[in-house]
This record gives sequence, structure tokens and C-alpha cells, in this order.
Amino acid sequence: MNTATEAVALRIARAFSEAEVVGDAAVLERYEVDDLRPGAAIFPRSSADISDILQFAASEKMAVIACGSRTKLGIGSPPHKYDVALDLSRLNRVLSYEPRDLTLGVEPGVTISALSEVLAAENQFLPLDPPFAASATIGGIIASDSVSPLRQRFGGPRDFVLGMEFVTGYGAQSKSGGRVVKNVTGYDLHKPLIGSLGTLAVITRINLKTFPIPQSRAGFSIMVPKLSDVQMFFQAIADSPLEPIALAAFSSGAEISRSRSGSGSWNALAVTAGNDAVVTRYRRDFSTAVTRIPGAEMAELGPSEFNQNYEFVREFPRLAKESSASAVVFRIAALPAAIASVIERLQDALQRAEVNCDVLAHAFGLIYFAVLPDRNVAMDRLGALAAEVFQLVVDAGAQARIEFGPTALKRVTRVWGPARADFELMARVKRTFDPENILSPGRFVEGM
Amino acid sequence: MHVHSLTGASAAPILKLSRIFLPPANVDRRFIRDLTGALGSQAVLSAPEDMLLYDYDGSVEQARPDCVAFPRSRSDVVTIVELAAQYRLPLVGRGAGTGLSGGALAREGGVLVVFSRMNHILEIDAENRRAVVEPGVVNLDLSRAVDHLGLYFAPDPSSQKSCTIGGNVSENAGGPHTLAYGVTTNHVTGLEVVLPEGKIVRLGGKTEMPGYDLTGLLVGSEGTFALVTEITVKLSRKPEAVKTLLAIFDDIANAPETVAELTARAITPAACEMLDGWTLRAIEDFVHAGFPRDSAAVLLIEIEGLAESVEEQSAEVIDICNRNHAREVRLARDAAERDLLWKGRKNAFGAVGRLSPSYYVQDGVIPRTKLPETLKRIDEIGKKYGFQIGNIFHAGDGNLHPIILFDQRDRAQFDRAVAAAGEIMRHCVESGGALTGEHGVGMEKNELMPLMFSDADFDLMRRMRSAFNPEGRLNPGKIFPLGKSCGEIRVMPPAPVPA
Repeated sequence: MNTATEAVALRIARAFSEAEVVGDAAVLERYEVDDLRPGAAIFPRSSADISDILQFAASEKMAVIACGSRTKLGIGSPPHKYDVALDLSRLNRVLSYEPRDLTLGVEPGVTISALSEVLAAENQFLPLDPPFAASATIGGIIASDSVSPLRQRFGGPRDFVLGMEFVTGYGAQSKSGGRVVKNVTGYDLHKPLIGSLGTLAVITRINLKTFPIPQSRAGFSIMVPKLSDVQMFFQAIADSPLEPIALAAFSSGAEISRSRSGSGSWNALAVTAGNDAVVTRYRRDFSTAVTRIPGAEMAELGPSEFNQNYEFVREFPRLAKESSASAVVFRIAALPAAIASVIERLQDALQRAEVNCDVLAHAFGLIYFAVLPDRNVAMDRLGALAAEVFQLVVDAGAQARIEFGPTALKRVTRVWGPARADFELMARVKRTFDPENILSPGRFVEGM
Repeated sequence: MHVHSLTGASAAPILKLSRIFLPPANVDRRFIRDLTGALGSQAVLSAPEDMLLYDYDGSVEQARPDCVAFPRSRSDVVTIVELAAQYRLPLVGRGAGTGLSGGALAREGGVLVVFSRMNHILEIDAENRRAVVEPGVVNLDLSRAVDHLGLYFAPDPSSQKSCTIGGNVSENAGGPHTLAYGVTTNHVTGLEVVLPEGKIVRLGGKTEMPGYDLTGLLVGSEGTFALVTEITVKLSRKPEAVKTLLAIFDDIANAPETVAELTARAITPAACEMLDGWTLRAIEDFVHAGFPRDSAAVLLIEIEGLAESVEEQSAEVIDICNRNHAREVRLARDAAERDLLWKGRKNAFGAVGRLSPSYYVQDGVIPRTKLPETLKRIDEIGKKYGFQIGNIFHAGDGNLHPIILFDQRDRAQFDRAVAAAGEIMRHCVESGGALTGEHGVGMEKNELMPLMFSDADFDLMRRMRSAFNPEGRLNPGKIFPLGKSCGEIRVMPPAPVPA
């Protein structure tokens, strides 16, 4: 441990009880963000603890990064500074659950898998079905706005998070929204917290709507010869009264391929839910849509095939990230009708550059595009490729950011994409929540 | 020129004693001259008698602007905002004036910016189910414009025939069908706004954008952050099948119990409205919607979706209603019968307005399981204060609209009505609910805000308002408690100290 980090650990330990603070290098290694290691990790048990810690950190100008199970610390630009890891794993209680009201209030450190068990006992679920599902915490899922395949039907967290409690960068314990399903009392301050990577406040409670588990579920695999067929199938569903709970497409074979850079057949996964009559209806209407696409085939998936396909779709960003240390995973928001044209432009560019890529597209308008270069790729080459991807995405009227990528690349690239006019307003929001800029400084847009 | 024809329909005006006094506008005449010079005389009103048309909305509040401006474009808005900045005048946006919390009233005078002439649908993108509209577009006009595409705009406030989408955005408006489809914020993906210094900024867009969700922050900020000049909304596909059921009860207690069981059994109707016997009789006298006059309460329940699912769900709903002692469950036979039932529901406030000199609509929210006890509590409060309180609820999501009938000309009655409303609101908050589900805080509930928010919460909200609106000139006197009596006839009980 160098002197600087030692000093942080000492100062933190002096300010708080020893049991809650860890300064051991072997432990701190786990909290690294983009090669930066904190001087201490601290384990608060309450919102009041967090308030004390953040007031201390603000007065000492220490940079704090909040985390849960640390699966998504790689998202965002490299932090400018990192003194303290605020580990929220001990804030892991379900604070209120009213199954008859379909509402839930939880602390941020609860894992989605633990929560799913609690809800399943009441035949309910949350449509947050995120990547890193084995260990992701609800706080991390919300703070990074993780994408669930179920967004197709249920929308994202902004549609079913009812309110939050949080501690601001100046240590104030505050809240927004409420616990009931409809509420317009006061400003919706929790909305910008969704996806903010902990740069505005530390979330201490999240109130959510819960949903009944559908009577039955079925998965269909639709295999089509080309990318434009995927678009045709997505559009056919969009123009119909059908509402599958998930609809995504990927190039054939449910694994990240290191050799797929362009043409080849595609697979769409459509998941439906409802009673038996509804599932029968979907089967019939999907078949009709498929017969209109030359060369297309449809199969209803058995349980194990379904799980394999669904997990691949859900875990795609993790699988792409873990496939190689040099992988760059873009998260691209596109208009539903533009999905194929965005993907085509990107695949063409990567083919010209002779670099592998892989892609997953959700029909609601979200594409994960993974650039998979050789392990020893030069960083300036990767930077040029990233710049080209950003440019092509902008030209197609879509929005991109780098979700995961090598730190060396993130240091020289605009991780959040081209600057926009509203970034200045975002900076005002950041200063309002965190005037001393101690919360995850540098990880968000424009170095916020 | 008279302007009320341009502003769309407003809620029923309430006779107000203070209207007989017409003080001259206290705004700098040079401002009026400059504004008229920039926008033309057809776009500015400032005569005291003209201001009378803009000193009320659908609430019991009133406040008179010093002048009214009618922009036709974003550049007009910028002109108005820059001039107001130069003269340091308050700016208050207004659509059709149908709001129910005084959100579009110029509480501290200044300039009322009425968006009725910015009423163009700028783009309809059917394949991506998006539309881009100016703020003055009337809610139902957008649905009508996309009807031939099989699409509609889902938020459906009862005033949807006249209220504007700009007003919906400011208040984060709801409606009966938000039970299944969400409120305005769930259907807005982007905004163009003018900040109080005159700067135009675009937030969000047709797709998700990297960065903080500023669109989500702005929707429902009640005009205190910026003036909205363009709105990008999601359009929804019209359902394949719809069934509208009317469950009729002889005992009012059975209706909320039915709703609680529907929720607990995980049946999500598109809408689930409750009307008590008194309210439905008032409606029948006015609209003849087909509500049975001798019943104690009805539930208006709509199931939408795929034909196969609607069939099964409506059978379940009927079963639950019957098990909760419904006298009868009627199924609307056709679109005409369905429309008539909804016409009854959506004209409820108008129907009540025929029976009483004034009425005061509440907008509390409670957890849905607390419906039965809340109905009893409202009855007790009505008896305690000696008022008839009609009950009309978005029962499915626990959003209550008790209507207190009183005579605003009688000061003592007005004070009692406000006190009764305060008790209902306290009950909602103590039950774990909220002060407002869809009408907004405005100048109606701002003094009750300490029931829900701490000093730290107010401090953060004030900081956020200052980040956008540093001089506080945008819609002043709203949302935050002033801790003093306000308006000409309005006296709120002192705000209780938070626990």
C-alpha cells in the first residue's frame, strides 16, 4: 500500500469504527475500477452511515464509488479519482413487500436472484432480468440501467420504479416519488438517478411495482436467411396486436463467435406469455408471419433450448465483454425501424477493417454491438474503429455509448459518444446533487 | 379581439367575489410596448378586463396575470422569455386552463404564456410509433390524427377533449387508462425547452439517449424548470379487443373490496373506475349514461388486449364481482354503449357542477389495499364537516377523487371545505400514499407538502429548481410551501410539523 492510500484508510478508519473499514490490499484489489484502486472499502449498514461517510468524504474531497456485487464497475469513463469504495452489500434487506398491492421496497444490496425468490413465493416477479443475473444487485441494475429482454413488453426501470431514497453528495438523506403506483407529488428526482452510475447520489431504497407471473410462457425460435428478414419479422410483430414479452435477434448459434463479421443467417427469439389460448394464437400468427419470409423457419423451443437461448440474449453484453480483454461492447439505441440498417453499416465497416464482431438486437430499439479484435490489437487502431462506429451510428440517427471496453481505449475515446447541447444541463443536475464532485467523478458524460 | 375562443374550453368558471375589483396591471408599460412590438398586437393582451379570462383554471384557485402572450413558434417563445428576463417578470405557461391545482395561474402576476396557437402536430412516425407535437396540441386531437393508423396517445385525462399535451407534460397527467398504460411520463421520450435565460435545449429524443434522464426530470415539474416548446411522444397500438363491464353494487363497501381482490388476483384491467351512488345519480341526471340510479356504487372496468386474453380475463372479473356480491355485472354490447358509459365517467365533474355552486376535487393516492377503510374515513370526514362528498376513484391504482360540494361565496364554508380536504389528504399520506396522483401540487397542495417531505427534501428540490430557474421567475409560488396565507380568499391551515 502506498502512502496516499494508507492515509485514506487511516483517516477513514479514524472517522468510523474499524469493523466497517477495510484497508487490506488483497481486498481492495476487488474494488478496482479501470486500474484505479481505492485506499479503503467501507461497509455501511444504514442510510445514516452513508450520510456520515459522504459528509466526511465531501469535507476531505475524497472520491467515493458505490458498488454492490461489482459486476458493472467497468461501465463508464475511467474515474478521475477514487479514494473510497462504498460497498452496499450489507444493505440487503427487503424493507416492505405488499403482494396484494403489487409494490415492493428494497435496499440496494439485495441481489436480483434473492429478490426473485421472495417474489416467486407470491407468484410475482420484476421485469428486471439483467445480464450478470447470478450476482447483480438491484442497486447496480438500476444505477447502470441494465437492459432486460423483458423491456420489450414491460418498459425499463423508469416505467416501474415508483420512488427512491438516497443520500446526496453533500450527505443529505433525501427521497423522491413514493410507494404507491401513481404519484406526482414533488419533482421526480429519482428519474435521473436511473443509469447515473452513482454519480449523483447513493441509492438507499428503491420502491418498485411488481408483476404477476404469467400463467404460461413459450419461446419460439425464428430462423431467417438475412438481416433484412429480421427487420421484416420485427415490423410484422409491431404492426400486429401481438405483444411478445421479449423479442430479440442474433446471428445464428447461441454463443459469442469470434468469426462472425457479416453475412450469415439470423435467429430471432420471441417469448410469449399468457394463457394457453393466447400462446396458441401467438404460435399461429408467428407462423403466418414466417411464411411471408422466403427461407424462414420457426421452431417452438423446449425448456432447455429455451433457457439456452434466453440466457444468451440476457447475458449477451457480459458474454461479449468476457470473450476477450480487447472486446469493445457498444450499447446502441436505435429507432425500431432502423435496427437492420444500423447493424448493416457497422458490420460492413468491421468487415472492411477485417475485425470480427457480434451483435444482439432487441426489437424495442436496443442493439449490443461487440467489436472483437485480436488480443494484441494496437490501441490507436481500436480507437479509430471506435470513432468510426460512433460516426456511423450518428449518421444512422441512432445513439451509441461504450458499455464495456479496455481501460486504455476508454482513456482516449469519448465513451458516452458525441457531445450534445443538453450535457450542460446535466452538469447543472450533477452540481445540484453532488456539489463537491465526490461521487464517482469522471465516470459519466463529459467527465462528470 | 377576444381571446377565449382561442384558448379552448376551460373548466366551469366559479363565481368569485374578488372579480368585481379590477386593479390595473402593475407590469411596466414599456414591457407591453416591447412585447407588442415584437409579436404584434394580435399576440398580446393586457387590458384588465381581458385578464379576467385568465385568472382561473379548473381548480378553486385564482390569480391574475399582468399580461397574456400567445406565441406561434419557438422563436416567439424565446422573444417572450428574453423580454421577461430583461424586465425580471414571472413567466407562467398555460395550455387550455383545465388544470386542477392552479398550475397554470400567474400567482405572482407577470406574463402568462398561452400555447394555444402552437398546436401543430409536427411529425407522425407510424413505423416507430412516435409523434412530435407542439405543446398546444389538444390531447384527443393527437389520438384522432393517428386513428387511421391504428394508433393512439395513451394518457387520457378526463379533460382530454380540451387539455393540451403541453399541460399534460407539465403536470404529468394521468387518466383512467393509466392503470395499464402508465401516466404521461411513460409516454414522453423527448422535449425541446426554453430555459428562463432564453436558451433552447433539446432533451432526449425519439430513442433512449446516453446521459441523465432529464426528460423524466422535466415531466411533472409543473412549469418551474423551463417552458416546453416541442414534445416527442410514444404512440400506442389500439387493442384488438375491448370489453367494458359495469358492476353494480347495493352495498358501497363491496365495490372497493372487489377492487382489492382484482389487484390481489393479479388481474390488470386497462381501467377500473369506481363511482358511488350519489355521484352516479348526479351523472345520470346530466348525461344518461346508463348507470342504475338505485345502486350504491358501480365499478366501470375495461379489459383490453388480444381477443383470447380479454375473453378469459373478463370471465375472471365477472366471477370476482359476483363473489363480492355485485347485484349485476353488465357488459357493454357495442362501442356506442361503451362510449356512453365513458362519457358518463368523464363528465362526472361537469355533472356535479350542476348541483352545487362550487366543488373541490381531491386527488389523493392510497395503497390499493386500503380502499375499503379510506372510503369509510371520507364518509366520516364529510359528516364531521357537514358536506356531501361524492366519490369517484381511479380505483385500480388507488387514486381518489373525492368531490366536496360547497358554496365558495360563503367564506366559512370555503374554509371548512379546505379543512375537510386537508384531513382527507392527511389520511392518504398516513396510509402510505401521496398528496396528488395526477393533478399536481401547484398552489393547491403546496402548504400540505410537509406531510410528505422533510427539510432536506425541500432543500434538494429548491436547489434543483434553481439549477434550471435560478431567479425563480418560472411559475413562482407553486409546489413549495410558502408558510403563509395566500391569494385573495384562500386560507390554508398551517402546515403540520413533519414527524
